[in-house]
Amino acid sequence: MYGDATNWNEEDYREAILKEREIQTRTVFRTAWAPSAKIPNPDAFVVASSDGTLAFHSMNSLVSQSASFGYSKDLNVMAAEPERVVRAHEGPAYDVKFYGDDEDALLLSCGDDGRVRGWKWKELVESEVSLQENHVKPLLELTNPQHKGPWGALSPMPEINAISLDHQSGSVFTAAGDSCAYCWDVESGQIKMTFKGHSDYLHTVVSRSSASQILTGSEDGTARIWDCKTGKCIKVIGSQDKKSPHRISCMALDGSESWLVCGQGKNLALWNLPASECVSTISIPAHVQDVMFDEKQILTVGAEPLLRRFDLNGALLSQIHCAPCSVFSISLHPAGVVAVGGYGGLVDVISQFGSHLCTFRSSSL
Amino acid sequence: MEDGEIEEGMITSDEFPTSEVTTETIPQPREPAKSPLELLRESKTSVEEIVAKMLSIKKEGNNKSEIRELLTQMFLNFVNLRQANRAILTEEDKVKAETERAKAPVDFTTLQLHNLMYEKSHYVKAIKACRDFKSKYPDIELVPEEDFFRDAPEAIKDKLVSSDSSHVLMPKRLNFELLQRKELCKHRVRLEQQKKSLLETIAERKKFLSSLPLHLKALKKASLPVQNQLGIQHTKTLKQHNLAELLPPPLYVIYSQLLAQKEAFEECIDLEIVGSLKDAQAYARQQSKKDSGMSNNTESSRLEDDGPDDDDDGQRRRKRPKKLTTKEGSDKAGLYQAHPLKIFLHIYDDENPDTKSLKLVILKFEYLLKLNVVCVGAEGSQDGPEKNIFCNLFPDDAGLEPPHQSTKLILGDGQAFDENRTSRPYKWVQHLAGIDILPEVSPILLGQETHNIDSAKSDVVVSDLSLYRQQHRVQRILQRIRSRKKAHLALAEQLDLLMKHELPDVKCEDAPWALHKVLCTLDSWLHIQASASMSSSLTLNSMEQVPEPMEIDVDGRSISGKEDLEGIREDGELPSLVTAAASVTSSNHTPLKVSNVARSRQLALMTKNLDSPISKGKSPSFKKYEDDLDLVLDDDSEVDEPAGTTKAHVEALYPEKTDNSWVDYGTREFALVFSRKTDGGKLCKLEATVQISMEYPLRPPFFSLSLHASSASGNENRTNESDHYNELRAMEAEVNLHMLKIVPSDQENYLLSHQIRCLAMLFDYYVDDPSPDSKRGTATTVVDVGLCKPVDGKLLVRSFRGRDHRKMISWKDRGCASGYPC
Repeated sequence: MYGDATNWNEEDYREAILKEREIQTRTVFRTAWAPSAKIPNPDAFVVASSDGTLAFHSMNSLVSQSASFGYSKDLNVMAAEPERVVRAHEGPAYDVKFYGDDEDALLLSCGDDGRVRGWKWKELVESEVSLQENHVKPLLELTNPQHKGPWGALSPMPEINAISLDHQSGSVFTAAGDSCAYCWDVESGQIKMTFKGHSDYLHTVVSRSSASQILTGSEDGTARIWDCKTGKCIKVIGSQDKKSPHRISCMALDGSESWLVCGQGKNLALWNLPASECVSTISIPAHVQDVMFDEKQILTVGAEPLLRRFDLNGALLSQIHCAPCSVFSISLHPAGVVAVGGYGGLVDVISQFGSHLCTFRSSSL
Repeated sequence: MEDGEIEEGMITSDEFPTSEVTTETIPQPREPAKSPLELLRESKTSVEEIVAKMLSIKKEGNNKSEIRELLTQMFLNFVNLRQANRAILTEEDKVKAETERAKAPVDFTTLQLHNLMYEKSHYVKAIKACRDFKSKYPDIELVPEEDFFRDAPEAIKDKLVSSDSSHVLMPKRLNFELLQRKELCKHRVRLEQQKKSLLETIAERKKFLSSLPLHLKALKKASLPVQNQLGIQHTKTLKQHNLAELLPPPLYVIYSQLLAQKEAFEECIDLEIVGSLKDAQAYARQQSKKDSGMSNNTESSRLEDDGPDDDDDGQRRRKRPKKLTTKEGSDKAGLYQAHPLKIFLHIYDDENPDTKSLKLVILKFEYLLKLNVVCVGAEGSQDGPEKNIFCNLFPDDAGLEPPHQSTKLILGDGQAFDENRTSRPYKWVQHLAGIDILPEVSPILLGQETHNIDSAKSDVVVSDLSLYRQQHRVQRILQRIRSRKKAHLALAEQLDLLMKHELPDVKCEDAPWALHKVLCTLDSWLHIQASASMSSSLTLNSMEQVPEPMEIDVDGRSISGKEDLEGIREDGELPSLVTAAASVTSSNHTPLKVSNVARSRQLALMTKNLDSPISKGKSPSFKKYEDDLDLVLDDDSEVDEPAGTTKAHVEALYPEKTDNSWVDYGTREFALVFSRKTDGGKLCKLEATVQISMEYPLRPPFFSLSLHASSASGNENRTNESDHYNELRAMEAEVNLHMLKIVPSDQENYLLSHQIRCLAMLFDYYVDDPSPDSKRGTATTVVDVGLCKPVDGKLLVRSFRGRDHRKMISWKDRGCASGYPC
């Protein structure tokens, strides 16, 4: 490895120790299931983590690797070698989404460096690039604009915390750190619309394509509904005064795009969009960090190692223990398999029946 | 005769009344010629006749006159009767006398006969005694007869005639024997005298010889200044080289390579071989006998050369047997039997080579014969995993697991090396000794135990040392030990400060935490055990004792120094003592006495030398500390903090866990509490568990954080962990990982201080702005300004960023851009 007295390489060893620590402090910010038209079973998924990498894992190999690993609470989890790794961003990669459902889908990711990068999924999977040469040239690159100060000074690059896609209009919506949401044209790579109005940076953006609206959640404690055509704010959900100190950390729309769930602090607020009223509020012991609709149920995770499932009335249906102590992402495969990712670089794949298919620590570059 | 007379008288008196009758009746005719008996009978019959007549007369009553006559006749008859009676009595007397006379000779002869009989039996007895008498001569081994005839002098032989009986011959032979023996006795006495004189001369010569070493030593001592002057450490090096030749091969490699390093690169090290020459020679001889029948001539010749040294060893031996017996007392101790020779390596600080005073550490190398491993320990310092700076000098080298397969087999399955021993068989020592070990598991098949490795082949003493030199083993190990020791000294210094609840200073202008004015206070710094099972009392205990190590360290150094001194003395090279002894020799010329004095003094020194490290090392407080360490050790073994596995693909292929417990070996854990009162009156406490590994600073201390906030009223409400979870993890990542890249490499030993200062700074920032809304705009130097176009017209200050809502910290770049003033 790093040698002993006969073959000592102190620098390597030091780096290995730091790397070990780096792996432990890494966070998986998003997992995304790859679209697979042919195979209904969940197989490939992409993990975006805080070291700016996108790692592509295959369920088949993971399950076979983890055959001897039972699920255990401790941190002694398998370190899985991904099929492919791409260094996508300079800072953490915050979000990753697939644009399109078929084999020609684009893989889009955003990160702390204020960029959205897109690759052809098929090329990425099939490319024979060795792991060392991890920088695959992206097909698409969108860079967040920097604001100019009075004397031409540029502001620091605001990060992009979330992306949302509208396949119909060919748009990419980004929730940026400069408290603006942007609408990009996938073809041209130009900004089509800027949505300004929040007073602090955005955590999340959700597109409601049926009504050509987007919904954004911000650090300032409000969520806003915007009209994509005019770029005007239609509605502000939540008060902007200082009474609501907690940020809107996550939002999700159901399949019919009529129900919205907002995670704010330790609460989930369920909105009926057509009626535009808050139907119920669900209180959770920990800060909510991601939320998702599964048919008529709400899946949510937060700064605790639990995956909770609520119905629309706010009744707790189940809670499943999962590996990461602070979970940042849920992703749901149509087959019902849920992948959660969070602190420690841990990803836990939970089947529709609540059993752990595999738990692993994504090892990366 | 008297009787007869009496009888007679009596009869007379008795017979008187009746006598008349008889005399009357029986007239006794007297016939003188008749025998008294006949007379008696006749008288009697006549009496009877007379009586009958008288009776008949009386009956008839007629003739009374006749009665008268008859009476006279009767009397006559009585007289006759008396006469007859007397005659009979005299006759009887006469016969009696005659019988007496005849009896006397008979008696005499009988007596004679008896006497003779006695005499005879006596003689018979005497004869028997004589017959039974055993002579001594059959026991005496005589010269054979023919030799006697041949050798005996004429004086003895002359009277001898050939026909003489053997009886005559025998005394002569005996005489001859006697003569011969007497002569031999004389000869013996002569020889005895000779022997005595010889012994005397030998004693004299011995005396001279025994006084000779002293003289030689004096000579040697006298030559020392000259040697020093000339820069030739001849005696010492010669002696050391002699010893070195007896070293077992692994130790020899260590010695020679270290020496070479020292001479070639002027390394600041000192080498010394310590141990009994005699024992080593004995061992070497035994070894060579075992290896091949031929004896080693050079060995024996050297033995003679080393006469003066043997003197020392002779005295050393007195102490040794005791040690050996205790060592071999138990079977297990026999396993750990060490080669008599040991190498001491003194490592000095190499940064200021002109002053040799700063001794960093003394290493003691020893070779375990049975186990075929080289062990190393710090001399004069206490053991225990926390103080043993040699463990994990290189990764996975806690020194508990025997390095060779063969050793493992000898020790038995699953048995680790004796933890109580101060010196351990680290892998790096084996490497230094040129013993290359095959890894336990084949690098390809990591995870599958291969037991069928031939144990004999598992360790190969590198015959060709070119590889050894190519790898710069000596240099590298020395460098590692130096840096390790320095790091630990620095660490102890920092821990000392922290014990006093002072934040250690960092002498680094560049790091932001060095410039930051710390607002929070260091509430506590406790040494805790790693395990959760530890009790609070134990924690206190250990806390009180933690400052000790420094003292002990100092103590240990002084001990080692002293020992050093005595080690020199032992060689007779310390001037003061030596001159004293020499002056005694010159003043009074009684070499025997002086040598005795000197010897006893040397002996005293020797025992002192042997005793001092042991007695000092085992001071009671120290022992207690050791016990605690043991506890820690036990606890450590239970905790198995999984360090992230790095070799992922190996893991993936072979999903068995690689044992990473060595990483935690000797790890110390401390609890640190920072507290800070916020403006709102809330008291925030940041608790950190700091794990300091043996590999400090290569493996930086690891912080795990938790936060407590309590209101002003004092009732502590542990805030929900999830509230701060991400922030705490971000701080951990900063302290454990990211900030390390900023710490300059020359400050590496003070990494802990840097980390703690950094943590304090991060905590300050955290407390400054605990909620996003409370204090917008209190921008500090490290908070970035996000220049978004403000909606409400004021400049917006961002202090959080990203999905994990982490505090933004942008480190000021250390150097400024070229051409611009900082």
